[in-house]
Amino acid sequence: MSKTYQAIVIGAGPAGSSAALVMARAGLDVALVERGTFPGEKNMFGGVLHRLPALEEIFPDFWDRAALGRHIVKKGVTFMTGDSSFTTTIESGNFDKTPFNGYSIFRPRFDNWLAQEAVKAGATLITRATVDNLVYKNGTLAGVTVVGRTGELLAPVVIAADGVLSFIAKKAGLRQPTFNPSQMAVGVKALVDMPREMIDDRFGLVREQGFANEFVGCTAGVRGGGFLYTNYDSLSVGLVFHLASLRVSGKTPYDLLNAFMEQPQLAKMISGGKLQEYSAHLIPEGGYDMIPELVGDGIIVAGDAAALCNATGLNLEGINLASQSGVLAGTAVIEAHQNKDFSKRGLSVYNKLMEESYVIKDLKLYRKAPHMLHNDRIYNEYPELMCSFMEYIYRINGAPKENLSKLFLKSAKEKVGLGNLLADGFSAWRAL
Amino acid sequence: MNIDEIFDNTSFTIDREPHIIVNYEICTGCDNRGCVNSCPAKCYTWSEEDQKMTFVHDGCLECGTCYVVCHRDAFTLWRYPRGGFGVAYRMT
Repeated sequence: MSKTYQAIVIGAGPAGSSAALVMARAGLDVALVERGTFPGEKNMFGGVLHRLPALEEIFPDFWDRAALGRHIVKKGVTFMTGDSSFTTTIESGNFDKTPFNGYSIFRPRFDNWLAQEAVKAGATLITRATVDNLVYKNGTLAGVTVVGRTGELLAPVVIAADGVLSFIAKKAGLRQPTFNPSQMAVGVKALVDMPREMIDDRFGLVREQGFANEFVGCTAGVRGGGFLYTNYDSLSVGLVFHLASLRVSGKTPYDLLNAFMEQPQLAKMISGGKLQEYSAHLIPEGGYDMIPELVGDGIIVAGDAAALCNATGLNLEGINLASQSGVLAGTAVIEAHQNKDFSKRGLSVYNKLMEESYVIKDLKLYRKAPHMLHNDRIYNEYPELMCSFMEYIYRINGAPKENLSKLFLKSAKEKVGLGNLLADGFSAWRAL
Repeated sequence: MNIDEIFDNTSFTIDREPHIIVNYEICTGCDNRGCVNSCPAKCYTWSEEDQKMTFVHDGCLECGTCYVVCHRDAFTLWRYPRGGFGVAYRMT
């Protein structure tokens, strides 16, 4: 049996549910199709949910209403070696006031909350449905088919928010037929449970405050980094690796994660905790140059499916970009319905809205960042340099001191070479 | 974290019908086999003795790493599991 809607959204993640929400609020009959038994079941991430300006506009009380965890008041970066670490943290009073700057969340809760808001607005949520093909009638996109189900879901327009591999964008001819491993990263994460009071005491937090830390130098030379952040009564600890680098390293993500969790300083942070869940996910880290064609006849691509992820090495943004692109995709479909034009041209207002939004502007600005991050020295030599230099500064043992800037140059020469230091500094300055 | 005990920590509703089918003949001729070390769920095992690849989809985290690192396109089938099957995260 076939059912007809005014729009079909594939994937009830942050992009898809945001799109379904705005379309349903505008009165469109929308199907939100999700392969999990509930939205968020298949999703994981590692880090911080940044502010979602588009959703805050829809929900002025976003932070009271959404299924959020702690708000992040303290952020740190750690340069790590096998047995030492150098950390800088920023804790700001401003991060402790609404609108909060970021949150820890559980995707199975947050994504489900957002999808249910779309349902409240009138969208039809169809779970346990893996879309496997686009249906064309008389040369025009007419709907989708679902694995293992007879019949079709029909609509004149489809939003592909089906995640990082977006087989739908591939089928529509919008994305490259194969992926380049140097544009992809894989994240692995351990969820470690720990009593709330222990977390508060250990990380210096009160009330609903949270802490998030990034690590570099903890991946045994594989390009990538680590993270640790606090949930109410658990810690999320994980690593992210560039796939091209992981592949040739011969190392495994789980062995590297275990080594990270056994590093003496990290081990202290998680001691007393118990592993609850292990998860993994791909991240499209190719930046602006990886973005596929965003619009085709009868179809719009949003979120991870459109490779909307901004990885600069300091922040990793994805859900905010996904949600924003979903809202803009929904807005474009509402306009296409008003004009009764679902052609590529009719939907191209999405391109325009995206170009005007921070999503494409930021990705363009940091266009060179992915290239800069393909530098093995960042993941090995520089963390070693930072740790050994700081160790020297604080070691007072009766040996005569050396001039610090000379010493820094001397150790930099040993560890990375002065030419490389200059080149890397220039590359970072240009990219960021 | 012991990857061989993944089922103790992460929940799965295992579909008897695999969502990924690997053509092992292609793997035998592969000079790279980055899937074996890169897969975060240890779904791929290469036997040096038998010169044979084995893939088990039961503990697949559906991340797509193998799909991206395989440069031989060794997949007869690579899609996500049928609706309702596969990994089921609770707290991630």
